[in-house]
Amino acid sequence: MNRRIAIQRISMMLGGMISTPLMAGIMQERLNFGPSLEISLNQEKLLAEVADVIIPTTTTPGAKAAGAEKFIVRVIRDCYELPEQEKFYQGLDNLENRAKASYNKSFVDLTPEQKHGVVLKTTSEDKPFFMQMKGLTVTAYFTSEVGATEALDYLPIPGRFDGSWTMPKGQKTWAL
Amino acid sequence: MANLNIDAQKEITYDAIVIGSGVSGGWAAKELTEKGLKVLMLEKGKNLEHVSGYTNALKAPWETEYNGRITVKQKESHPFLKRDYPYNEMTENYWMTDTDSMYEEKKRFDWYRPNIVGGKSIMWGRQSYRLSDLDFEANLKEGIAVDWPIRYKDIAPWYSYVEKHVGISGEKLGLPQLPDSDFIAPMDMYFVEKEVRKRLEKNFPGRHMTIGRVANLSQPSKIQLEGGRSPCQYRNRCSYGCPYGAYFSTQSSTLPPAMKTGLLTLRPDTNVREIIYDPQTQRATGVRIVDSVTMEEREYFSKIVFVCASALSSTALLLNSISDRFPNGMGNDSGELGHNLMDHHFRTGASGVWEGDHDKYHFGRRANGIYIPRYRNVGKDKRDYLRGFGYQGGGSRQGWQRNVAELAFGADFKEELTSPGEWTMGLGGFGETLPYHENKMYLNHDKKDKWGIPTVVFDAEIKENEHKMRVDMMNDAAEMLESAGLKNVRTNDRGSFLGMAIHEMGTARMGRDPKTSVVNGNNQLHAVKNVFMTDGAVMTSASCVNPSLTYMALTARAADFAVKELKRKNL
Repeated sequence: MNRRIAIQRISMMLGGMISTPLMAGIMQERLNFGPSLEISLNQEKLLAEVADVIIPTTTTPGAKAAGAEKFIVRVIRDCYELPEQEKFYQGLDNLENRAKASYNKSFVDLTPEQKHGVVLKTTSEDKPFFMQMKGLTVTAYFTSEVGATEALDYLPIPGRFDGSWTMPKGQKTWAL
Repeated sequence: MANLNIDAQKEITYDAIVIGSGVSGGWAAKELTEKGLKVLMLEKGKNLEHVSGYTNALKAPWETEYNGRITVKQKESHPFLKRDYPYNEMTENYWMTDTDSMYEEKKRFDWYRPNIVGGKSIMWGRQSYRLSDLDFEANLKEGIAVDWPIRYKDIAPWYSYVEKHVGISGEKLGLPQLPDSDFIAPMDMYFVEKEVRKRLEKNFPGRHMTIGRVANLSQPSKIQLEGGRSPCQYRNRCSYGCPYGAYFSTQSSTLPPAMKTGLLTLRPDTNVREIIYDPQTQRATGVRIVDSVTMEEREYFSKIVFVCASALSSTALLLNSISDRFPNGMGNDSGELGHNLMDHHFRTGASGVWEGDHDKYHFGRRANGIYIPRYRNVGKDKRDYLRGFGYQGGGSRQGWQRNVAELAFGADFKEELTSPGEWTMGLGGFGETLPYHENKMYLNHDKKDKWGIPTVVFDAEIKENEHKMRVDMMNDAAEMLESAGLKNVRTNDRGSFLGMAIHEMGTARMGRDPKTSVVNGNNQLHAVKNVFMTDGAVMTSASCVNPSLTYMALTARAADFAVKELKRKNL
């Protein structure tokens, strides 16, 4: 009996099911199924910096502090076909080249104003990449623990429903 | 074929075998065991324990892998299910792997097959409405298909009976075309919905808007609390499984009382290959199964069989139950088995924005919408198509997901999303599809699935009557929203393929005449009186309302009849 079957049997005996991601966790498997690009640490750092320009730290932490790049890497790796993955990371490379062409520096080493300028330039020079990166960043951030509980109001178990609730001062968007 | 591995378990006999453990199967098991029968309930899917089995139910968003997305690998193993939202990261484990039993589409058909005890009662939308005589009389009056063998008065007491156990939250309207249920407290409407309702009912006399009628416990009764259920927590996570037992599912509602009798045996991982027929007695004697996991084959025997595997699976099972007496499938003397396939057509309507009233928000997330009962072809209204539609929809305030200025980013963009946006409201029609003989499913005996069972072929589509109706479904929605004061009202029609509404019906229709229908008014196969079908397969017409409540009432009614017939020694 291999380990996967053994774990399944145990979970059946306990009267429960183990979800696929949880099973993968127990088995220390990576949930990467199809062919996927290998992403370097530098690319991940670059993603975090770009995400942090889209959703920066204000009165609440930004996308980098929320670890948004981890979600983005995971979604691209497991939920995108290989050509889509390649296109996305090509867009990221192009953004890095834009930084180097303008400032002769890597994006991660730019000042906040310079970073903002490079992302702004990307909105016109590579709108599809920008829109994709923005969409992923927004989801990654507002569904992260930091984003959901600090930038938004998080109420997992409301317990009641009032459809015409008078909004208290300082109320933020509900996270859920 | 089937007789290879039949072991020495032939002595395993029960009073009743129930095939399927979803909405209908759960009710059959509950009613039959409570009436003293020894019951075996067979479920193709794996076991799913109440509460502890709902592993995603209490996850925070950051505890998910992909915030609901499915992986490339899952898309490959689920080429049909990947096409729409019900199959997602959070419910992935509840659905069957398409590639285990690939079906063929002469025309596109979306077939949602669960893979769990409880079936679709776990993931269902919980909208619960009674049919009316407008529905039961429609075929006869219009000369369409065949007449229903029952009328509203036959089923009304059984609606009441199941509603008291289930708990249907809703508001009484007193409309003949949408009879009221025995309701528990209605849920509140969103602010914008209340505003729209006022204007809609004033501007369009005869049209009504009410809160959705839903099988969630707004206010549990003593019986429901004692049964281990608790009130709705307004989390809007129902389809992951409810750890509070707040909505009706087999696990929360029908399985516990059935288990309590000590008379129920539940066997998950059990694919029923065929129902066994005895030509001597002209009765079914039991079933032949293949274990979904071990592939072991065996037989079980019983006095009566309730086929509750969901419309299309039940029909496929009968089509595969072949004997000298029934070369075209059990009970198929009429040739109607597999025909008259219906589903509701939907995915068209309109939505708009309500400006202002930013000081109002909502507390909690209501797992329910609003409902506009059918008004077309009702009373004096006459259209260029038959039947009609109801609207489901609702209001909300835009959240962080909303699309603000397309190219915006940075601090201002972030701050904007952290405050709620505008109130919005949308309406989507759910339309009745006529029972067309040529809309059909059948078996491909040359192509077997993972368990050696013939696969299904679908050849069905919506036609002219439905397309004409869809014009009204879209335009009426826009007209009502505009008249109610919404701005930027936009219409939509995303196209509707049969199966997508997951209200599949009609492939073993009820009727009076064995020559033109498969089951009679008591849900018995005309030709095999101890086989009962009580799921969507028996629907003679589709109505435009969500059908599950009707399956519950029909099942309870048929179980009552079956036990009486057993006592009279007629079965």
